[in-house]
Amino acid sequence: MSGRRVLDSGQHIEIDRISCDAYGTCAELLPEGIDLDEWGYPVIAPGNVPAHLLDIAKRAVDNCPVLALRLVKVTAAKGAEPAPPPPVLAARRPETRPDRMEGTPPWPPRPANRPAKRGPEQRRRS
Amino acid sequence: MTARLLSGPSTAAGAESLAGHRARLGDLPGRTDRAHLIGMIDAAGLLGRGGAGFPVGRKWASVAGRAKGDAVVLANGAEGEPLAHKDRVLMASRPHLVLDGLELAAEAVGARRTVLYVGSEHVDARIALERALAERAANRTSPLPRVPTMLVTPPVSYIAGEESAAVHFVNIGDPRPTTVPPRPYEKGVGGRPTLVQNVESLAHVALIARYGADWYREAGRAETCGTALVTVTGGARPGVLEIDLGTTVGELAEWAGVSASVGSPVLLGGYFGTIISGAEAWRQPLDPVLLRRAGAAFGAGVVAFLGDEACGVTTTARIMDYMAGSSAAQCGPCVFGLRAIADASARIATGQPRQDDLSRLRGWSQSITGRGACRMPDGTTALLASSLRVYDADWTSHQHHRRCAMRRGARVGA
Repeated sequence: MSGRRVLDSGQHIEIDRISCDAYGTCAELLPEGIDLDEWGYPVIAPGNVPAHLLDIAKRAVDNCPVLALRLVKVTAAKGAEPAPPPPVLAARRPETRPDRMEGTPPWPPRPANRPAKRGPEQRRRS
Repeated sequence: MTARLLSGPSTAAGAESLAGHRARLGDLPGRTDRAHLIGMIDAAGLLGRGGAGFPVGRKWASVAGRAKGDAVVLANGAEGEPLAHKDRVLMASRPHLVLDGLELAAEAVGARRTVLYVGSEHVDARIALERALAERAANRTSPLPRVPTMLVTPPVSYIAGEESAAVHFVNIGDPRPTTVPPRPYEKGVGGRPTLVQNVESLAHVALIARYGADWYREAGRAETCGTALVTVTGGARPGVLEIDLGTTVGELAEWAGVSASVGSPVLLGGYFGTIISGAEAWRQPLDPVLLRRAGAAFGAGVVAFLGDEACGVTTTARIMDYMAGSSAAQCGPCVFGLRAIADASARIATGQPRQDDLSRLRGWSQSITGRGACRMPDGTTALLASSLRVYDADWTSHQHHRRCAMRRGARVGA
């Protein structure tokens, strides 16, 4: 980190894992804090969203096609200690994917090469 | 080994009758106020026996605080853990102890309805509980108000015993976990605050209410007081027994007819548990607090001696396949992650590993954790991580040389 102080928004992102269907919109909109695993499901950086990214985080929440994300205010009562500074969300990470463009379609279709969630082998039992 | 829950007639003799139960233990004490009983459980330091080990008194207090007299109590006897038998043995042999605990819980949290949630494959337990309910209906002696009880039998599945899955099944017949919050203690059966409590925990409460917290704390040899039911497998004499908490794995090995010189790895807790090496295991006390400190867990009270003969990689691959097949198939990281883990483990076990299978397994053992609605991925990856540690040489030998150290270096696979 560059020593520049990162202001904490006091909110973190929660995911409804059952609803999430790996559309990937969130990682597209908020690459600083959300990564995708090899199956396209989000991995959220630990800690609270830094204040300067809160607006983008809200967009990511609002644009999830299945509304699986929410921003949750971390109440002071919950943890007596102050929340640790956000370690990963600090700086915009060098882009590893194409730059976001104005007018990115908000609900991209599911990539054709990704298998449906409930694969046929899934119910297999030994 | 102290017998409390299992004192009295042999468990092999079947269900204890209401008359026998009352003659041996007496009636429940009369109505005490809620706070008093919950205070007693707190003072006893009873931890839940379903696997998570959450303090029972605290759980009851949080339901009682929310319920305003309209809570639901669900006695969890699903016991879907393949290596555990202790809950079904308890239900089948001491049904009235479980029902006493259920009545006390209903009184303490302010419940108007109770549910007995018993795995449909546990036939002896179901019959014993049905008979016990009929006995109590015909011969009402309890000083506590009568609360209707519904017997619900979920299908055979690993995940049906998870507390949100249990509530989901009772509500709409779907034994799969739901997204939490709201947790069952906030919004459970019929939308009411619901206490989901393992049947063994309830049976302990039935004794604490009679004899008090100090009596409960007389048993136990390490940090945690009391006794616990454990299921021991892998020795010459597998079975369910009641131990003082703090009894060492080595003592159980002796009881089960496992040679102490073997010192082979032991699986503690169940399929959500941890494999520890024989060298550590033999003097490890079975105590929830000490186990957690050692990076393991008491879990569902399973102590499985894995033996020197069996290949740890193969054993692990089999468990991973079971877990992948048991996923409720709701959350992506669980659906795809557990299947990927199971497939890579199977390839390594059978001598057909892909180049990066072992390193990917190591990665998945960390990266999938905490990414499901329930703890299915967490429990599975914890077991995998412990296997990768304890059987490190075997995994490496399988991956890189396609040889099984367990089978004296024999080539595995075709």
